Amino acid sequence: MDKRQESYEVNLFNPKQGYMRGEVVLILAILVGWGVVNFGFQAVLWLLAENPLGEGIFTRLTFFNLPYHFWFTAQFLPLWFIILCVIFNICLDRLTERHSRRRDRTYE
Amino acid sequence: MNSDPVKFWPLLIVTGVLVSFVLAGLRAKSQEMSDYGFSGRYIGRIGGGAAIASNWMSAASFLGMAGLLYLQGYFALAYVIGWTGGYVLLLVLMAGQIRRFGKYTAPDFVGARYDSDVARLLAALISITISVIYCVAQFKGIGMLFGWLFGVDYGRGVVLGGAVVVCYVVVCGMLGVARNQQLQYFVVIVSFILPLMFLAHRFGYFWLLPQFGYGEGIQDLATEFNINFTAPFASGSLFQWVALCFTLMVGTAGLPHVLSRFYILPNIRDARWSVVWGLFFIALIYWSAPAYAVFARLLEARGGYIPDPVAAGKMADIMVLKTAVMGGVPVWLTGLLAAGAVSAAFFTVTGLLMTGASSLSHDIYYRLINPQASESRKMAIAKGGTLALAALVLIISLRPPALIAEITAVAFALAGNTIFPAFLLGIWWGRANRYGVIAGMVLGVMITFSAPLCGNAIPLVARIFPITSSAFCGAPLVVLVMVVVSLLTPPPSEEMRRFLAEVVHGHLD
Repeated sequence: MDKRQESYEVNLFNPKQGYMRGEVVLILAILVGWGVVNFGFQAVLWLLAENPLGEGIFTRLTFFNLPYHFWFTAQFLPLWFIILCVIFNICLDRLTERHSRRRDRTYE
Repeated sequence: MNSDPVKFWPLLIVTGVLVSFVLAGLRAKSQEMSDYGFSGRYIGRIGGGAAIASNWMSAASFLGMAGLLYLQGYFALAYVIGWTGGYVLLLVLMAGQIRRFGKYTAPDFVGARYDSDVARLLAALISITISVIYCVAQFKGIGMLFGWLFGVDYGRGVVLGGAVVVCYVVVCGMLGVARNQQLQYFVVIVSFILPLMFLAHRFGYFWLLPQFGYGEGIQDLATEFNINFTAPFASGSLFQWVALCFTLMVGTAGLPHVLSRFYILPNIRDARWSVVWGLFFIALIYWSAPAYAVFARLLEARGGYIPDPVAAGKMADIMVLKTAVMGGVPVWLTGLLAAGAVSAAFFTVTGLLMTGASSLSHDIYYRLINPQASESRKMAIAKGGTLALAALVLIISLRPPALIAEITAVAFALAGNTIFPAFLLGIWWGRANRYGVIAGMVLGVMITFSAPLCGNAIPLVARIFPITSSAFCGAPLVVLVMVVVSLLTPPPSEEMRRFLAEVVHGHLD
């Protein structure tokens, strides 16, 4: 009885075995990549700032003619989000196939 | 402004584009009738992505973002990042699960998951409020565009534009025009990027990809005029940047009309991949928006005319068009640009008014007031609701409180503080119950509007929960309250918890 009840506890931080555990590990990994690269870069920018405007090493370096920090935030970060989504989808596609009993691709 | 002439050619192009959408929609409708049943398969992943992107593109993306970048430089990149990064949250945390849950509007999901009419009512009211706020921003864009097109001031422009957009919604509804969102996206992206290529070419920058070419413009601004466009913290602190960015991200993942996009595609895998395409199509616009801002600054500086901040703020929301005019873009291309902006705003208004009106007629009238209502009665309520909401939006937008992107950000903050936590815990924590969600949503609404209501009396509130960025501190607080209240009250029904575990999450085990 006890065991049955446990089988339908849904909790992001305490996933049950199997498919959901793999999915949750993947989700947390993507979220870490999402948060650290975006907010981390802004924090680094702030730490390396030499004046209140935030100018520092990254604002002097250039990349594609853009100041490096501007390139990173305006152009690389949207691309990074797309990359994260692609990684997520590929991994989840594989995960679903591995756990799909009948190897059925028309699952819903 | 009053002496401005009517812009004849742009006006003609705008009218032509809008009429051609109606005609294309009518044609698609008759085709759909003949091979009904295939239409769902036709669009595929890329088409689904274009639909997501066109559903997303609004006056805020088309006009507001470039305007804010022009005013605030690096700080406004928080909008670019917030509105793209939100899709990561949406994809990894919600897209597949919402589809498996099978409820596609926010009030339906909240009502079913938490089995509570009060929670459904709250979610419906919040959805309607979000629609209204979002529409006000669109109306401001429409008002400025029509003011420019007809050479009249903003007040007349917004009344005229409001009347036209309501007529458009009514005509489309009466004729049953199918929305061809792939075509819409195509028009929006072409009309945004072509003038930009022309401008870049004129400046002598790398024009094939103006998204990269504008880098030289930033250099020129710095060397020729000593204007530092890119200083990171010139317009706001690190906290303000991060709070705004985070708010827009959770708002994106909680916006009702975005959440309901996941059921058009035949299966979950296609739905997930179409999010990626959608994000790519959205990013195409967002990679380009800073270029308009840089070119505008450069044209002003070279023309020897640098407006004071008040004047700059007044025209920032239509800066995209002004840049094209200042840069000598040919009149047909300016017309195309205006047509893209008008289309983006019109389609967003159409979608939002319909979402709001259906919440009104289905979730409030039918589910709560009169469950015996006939279909025609519901329809009548929905139609009346559309007009009532449009009138309300028009009244508010006569005196717009802020810039387009800022008004939109308030809608995102509200969504991030209320709908996002309700979905997040509803999907990922079986123990979340109706008391928790009701407490959470009420608190979320209070947090969103705390800064204008009591920010003057308690300065700390205004600092922690700024009106455009309240979800950074607000959403985690709401989640915490939902968890605590849920733990103190009885758990939800066993069927719901079993359904969550077996259908929403355990579908393959």
